[in-house]
Amino acid sequence: MEEANKQVPVTVLTGFLGAGKTTLLNRILTEQHGKKYAVIVNEFGEQGIDNDLVVDADEEVFEMNNGCICCTVRGDLIRILSGLMKRADKLDAIIVETTGLADPAPVAQTFFVDQDVADRTKLDAIVTVADAVHLNSQLTDHHEAEEQIAFADVVLLNKIDLVDESGLEVVKERIKKINPFAKIINTTKCGVPLKEILNLDAFSLKRVLDVEPDFLTSDHDHEHDDDVTSLSFVSNTPLNMEKFQEWFGNLLQTKGQDILRTKGILDFKDQSDRYVFQGVHMLMDASPMGKWPEGKGRSSRLVFIGRNLESMNLKEGFENCKSA
Amino acid sequence: MIADTNEFPELDKTKFEQRGTEFKLGIPVINAVSIGNSIAVGFGDGTVRIFTSGQCSEPIKAHKGIVLCMSKDGDHILTGGDDGRFLKISLDGEINEIGNFGTRWVDNVTANNGNLVCSSGKIVYLWSPNKKEPKLFEHNSTIGGIAFDAKGRRLAVSRYDGVTLWKKDYTNKWESSNLIFKGSHNKVSFSPDGKYLVTTMQENLIRCWRLKDNVDFAMSGYNTKVKSFAFVGETSYLATSGALGMGIAAAICWPFDGDGPMGRKPTCLQYSGNNQVTFVEPFPSEKAVFAGLSDGSVYLSEIEKSSNTIIIRSFTESEVTSIAVTEDCSSILIGDMGGNILWTSIWDEKKS
Repeated sequence: MEEANKQVPVTVLTGFLGAGKTTLLNRILTEQHGKKYAVIVNEFGEQGIDNDLVVDADEEVFEMNNGCICCTVRGDLIRILSGLMKRADKLDAIIVETTGLADPAPVAQTFFVDQDVADRTKLDAIVTVADAVHLNSQLTDHHEAEEQIAFADVVLLNKIDLVDESGLEVVKERIKKINPFAKIINTTKCGVPLKEILNLDAFSLKRVLDVEPDFLTSDHDHEHDDDVTSLSFVSNTPLNMEKFQEWFGNLLQTKGQDILRTKGILDFKDQSDRYVFQGVHMLMDASPMGKWPEGKGRSSRLVFIGRNLESMNLKEGFENCKSA
Repeated sequence: MIADTNEFPELDKTKFEQRGTEFKLGIPVINAVSIGNSIAVGFGDGTVRIFTSGQCSEPIKAHKGIVLCMSKDGDHILTGGDDGRFLKISLDGEINEIGNFGTRWVDNVTANNGNLVCSSGKIVYLWSPNKKEPKLFEHNSTIGGIAFDAKGRRLAVSRYDGVTLWKKDYTNKWESSNLIFKGSHNKVSFSPDGKYLVTTMQENLIRCWRLKDNVDFAMSGYNTKVKSFAFVGETSYLATSGALGMGIAAAICWPFDGDGPMGRKPTCLQYSGNNQVTFVEPFPSEKAVFAGLSDGSVYLSEIEKSSNTIIIRSFTESEVTSIAVTEDCSSILIGDMGGNILWTSIWDEKKS
């Protein structure tokens, strides 16, 4: 039964209407010969997807009855993924295309919340296709565009042939300010090697260790208070585990709605292992990930992506967790 | 078609396995429905096979991908698939397409008084006998389950945030009312006496409405989503899949006699091993339940005398997804996710 226990990777494609999601999708489907993909599309999607296995979904989001208003999941995905996992022929991957105005959080949270889905599939990565010409104004006008960048593991910055170099830099800076983790790939017509967007395993804790965030050195000057930004903290002093758990747990419980994504590697006092976590709103995946590498210093790193981060006294809270 | 022989050592086999016929088809079993003394089985490759007296028919190519759901209309099989088709199939394999919804899956099928009913997306479609076009019952969100009451005058449709209850008045017009409880509702069923309505949910509980006054309550304490439930006996128990604590396989049976389950404790039928019960099927006309586990084993227990538990099938390491009993209660078919099927007689000697 080993075959059945293998988790099928699920790639989520987000991006505004017209950014090039369907172009990318058709590229994936035509280039990967001999692989079997299921594609889950939404009812408002552009037509013309060339694949055997296309499933219509409704992007139905509902709240879990666990007392947290930010714990929303995609019910249709639970139903469709559970169904796909009953197939006799095993799929190589599943691709979920979302509508232009979709918030990626419920999609990501579905993989934390439903046991059957988590047992048989895994969220591979969130790939956001962005239009280099229009992204800047979309980020200003639509909070969904910010969320799509904030949740992205990869941002495919498309149509770069239509902007000049300085325009491109402005857009890239804006993306990095929101999400220092996302890998930005410049493309025209979504021309990208598929290994850059598929089978990334971006949601595994092991990958948290590999990715170096690309922080901007500039100040956090933003136009609106509810802009999505990121903040990071580093400490070379080991942390007190109890204090950290209390602070962090309370923070996610009270501010989980504004905290979109978190990632971190933690050095706890008297613990030989590194602790690694990553989370979506208040849902968290965390585990010790082996010993610290020999010869390199131990330090804790913590990154938040979200809204109103400055009102949360994050720096003070983190400082208080340092062991005396 | 000849059955493949099983390679497990004889010693590990139950007497039911020894006298039964085992099939190792390697295709996930999704659902099974008894029709007379045959049992129709739907598979994860879109085929249906008919099992009769321990023999397996040639595969009927019904759907492109998966047989998502299955029911019956008299001596015919009803199926819904991920190819968007709603089919009526005869036991000798003749396929009649009732509806086709393209890339939208057919998630539920059922029949009542000659009406053929399915759900696809947010709509329930009902074909009356001799009518070409179906009647549509529209809802605000995707449908989890559909169920008729015993008389066929009420149709319950579970969805997000509750159940839509459609009632046929005496001029045969359908009127709807809503039973509201926030969250995602999956399977739905009326109690056999029609007094209660139960749903499984995305949460680890069962939601229940007492229909005389629409009082709702939860049956909770599960450590996982409830995948399977079935009423056992006329007005006795609701048997459900599940586990105790962090993993002692158990079928949890809630009493529905007298004033119902509110404030009462369930009977827990425990099985060996640290698994989950993944499928429950009543033993027709008895207060007894077949429980299939995540390791492939299947037990039969009397609810009120749980010491009377017997093992029907030993483990296969693959989750039990279907159990069906022939209408004369002589034989049982068990199917699992790994495509292992056991057909065996229930009684030591033919019950006369």
